[in-house]
Amino acid sequence: MSANPLFEQTVTALLAGEIICEYRYDSLYNFMTMPGNQQQVAAFLSQMNRVLRRTGSNDAWLCAFEDTTSKAVKDSIRNRFDEVANNLEPLVHFLRLIMATEGNERPVSPGDSISEGHILERISSAPSLESKLRSLTESQYFKSRKPDSAGQLRVVMGNLEKAGYLKRKGTTGSLYLATGKWSWLYDLMTFIQTHEGIADSGFEDDQQGRIF
Amino acid sequence: MARAHDAQAALLALARHADIILDAHLNNGNRMRETSENRTILETLEHHRLVWRYRDDDDPDPNLNKELIHLLVHITGAQRRRWASEQIQDLWAALEELFNDYREAKRLGAFADKDRLESSIKEHLNIIIEDIRSATEAYVGYLNSGFSYVTDLELRMRENTRAIDKAGKLNTLFDSFNIRELAEQAGNDPFLRRLLLKHLPASLEEGRKNLSYALNQLRLMLVRMREDQRLSKLVGGFEVHFANQPGYIPSIADLNLDHCPARVNITSVFHVDSQPDIYDSADEDALIEMAMTARTVHDPEPTAKETNRAEAITNDRDTQTEIDEDDPLDLLAERVVQHVVHGYVGDSELHALEVLAASNLSSEGAVWLSALEGELNALAPEHRDCVDVVYWTSPHTTYPDNLSIYNMTLRQSDVGSRI
Repeated sequence: MSANPLFEQTVTALLAGEIICEYRYDSLYNFMTMPGNQQQVAAFLSQMNRVLRRTGSNDAWLCAFEDTTSKAVKDSIRNRFDEVANNLEPLVHFLRLIMATEGNERPVSPGDSISEGHILERISSAPSLESKLRSLTESQYFKSRKPDSAGQLRVVMGNLEKAGYLKRKGTTGSLYLATGKWSWLYDLMTFIQTHEGIADSGFEDDQQGRIF
Repeated sequence: MARAHDAQAALLALARHADIILDAHLNNGNRMRETSENRTILETLEHHRLVWRYRDDDDPDPNLNKELIHLLVHITGAQRRRWASEQIQDLWAALEELFNDYREAKRLGAFADKDRLESSIKEHLNIIIEDIRSATEAYVGYLNSGFSYVTDLELRMRENTRAIDKAGKLNTLFDSFNIRELAEQAGNDPFLRRLLLKHLPASLEEGRKNLSYALNQLRLMLVRMREDQRLSKLVGGFEVHFANQPGYIPSIADLNLDHCPARVNITSVFHVDSQPDIYDSADEDALIEMAMTARTVHDPEPTAKETNRAEAITNDRDTQTEIDEDDPLDLLAERVVQHVVHGYVGDSELHALEVLAASNLSSEGAVWLSALEGELNALAPEHRDCVDVVYWTSPHTTYPDNLSIYNMTLRQSDVGSRI
């Protein structure tokens, strides 16, 4: 039986805990959309106590445990959860910063283009956004001692790229694509919201500010 | 006269800046984009009271004046094209009267009237066909804007719902043209049959296609906007929660996880690795080659990889520590100097090169002397005064004024006074 590089790469990425979407792993995502490949990957994973899953918005693939009763699996799930939970606050503040610079109520979605230059332009004209960015870089997740907004933003975007939330578009520019990992984050946040009883926000104050 | 002059200037300003005004009307929800290039234009239009704005820094884009919007609606025909149902209904009512007149003229043999009515019917029907086409095309174009000029999601959703309602009205109008009724209107007249059973149904079909596409897009957009709104509220909810409970970190410690919720369940990193196949002779050559490179003891000097863009640098000093290994030569110099300052040297003196030779350190004399000199310079003034240094020098062979130091003698400074 000959080796199938795409199958190998897909399975390896999934087992490594990566989230496969068309923006970060386009060839693997295309491989998964071909008829029969999903079943092949799912069958392989099921032999390793793993199951193939899609995010709530159906735009990314990930690998989950099939049987979660063993202690090792539970610990592993808790560790993955804690990785995000510990950094959730700076991620939420980043989302609000992008919403503020874009001037709309739409949070970052997979496939969105995020331009470092555009954000900088907005930040440089609004001191409140500049201070939001500065406080973001005071968090452990985006830690930076750069004195200027450009340097701070570069650290933030670079960290998100390393964490798999962004993919750099091209090699020279500062344009990024949001990946399917945001979908997974929103799924996790929805779970946390239900589990911890966190209320939705209506943003009445913001809306009033804009309308009147 | 002055009033006429002002009006003339206003009309001229409209003509001069027609492109930007039309862009604001058609593509930006009747708001002018405030950019540095537009500033002069905006000042002119504000002078003629053609635009207005809130005096609020957060809402800088000025709006077109209401009267100007009415004029633009009229001259672009947008209202008629976008919501053409009333217009088409009126035309159809007029057309029905013309059909009756046409049949009557034919029955009476009034050929002049028949010809006139024929061209009139043709004209009305063409207008209807054109209105149906442009109504749906303009409608699709309007939807393609995605209402992006409406920044608030709630308001954008309302605009979307309104658009669906209006599309529904247009659809009802298209349905009202049924083929049987058209066939009855046409009777046996070849002219009417051609118009009513061929051209009009073709336009209606095209309009229906455009409209069903537009409606589908609208519904998709509405679903997307509802999801965006849900996520926006979700993010906002967390932001408020974090603000009210500083240091809050979510936890699933209380969960049993025997039946793990799907949203939390994600695998940890599973390393896929394997051993080289030393049992297969087919791989032997490749393995030998790899083994040879693996045998290299010294790691090559790390070379800075040149990238087109500066890499992000985090000054994460809390988590990274830099190990600064002490140079044995520096340590020796420090010990020697400390010994001379604080130790018991008595009348004796230390010759720098002798100390180096006794230490078994392999270093050049000049480097050692330099380290010793550095250590002396680093002493606090009161300690430095305790050390007498004699420099052993020799003149340079070419430039005899320059002296080269080839050894140093160190002694405690109060020794001399005691003697």
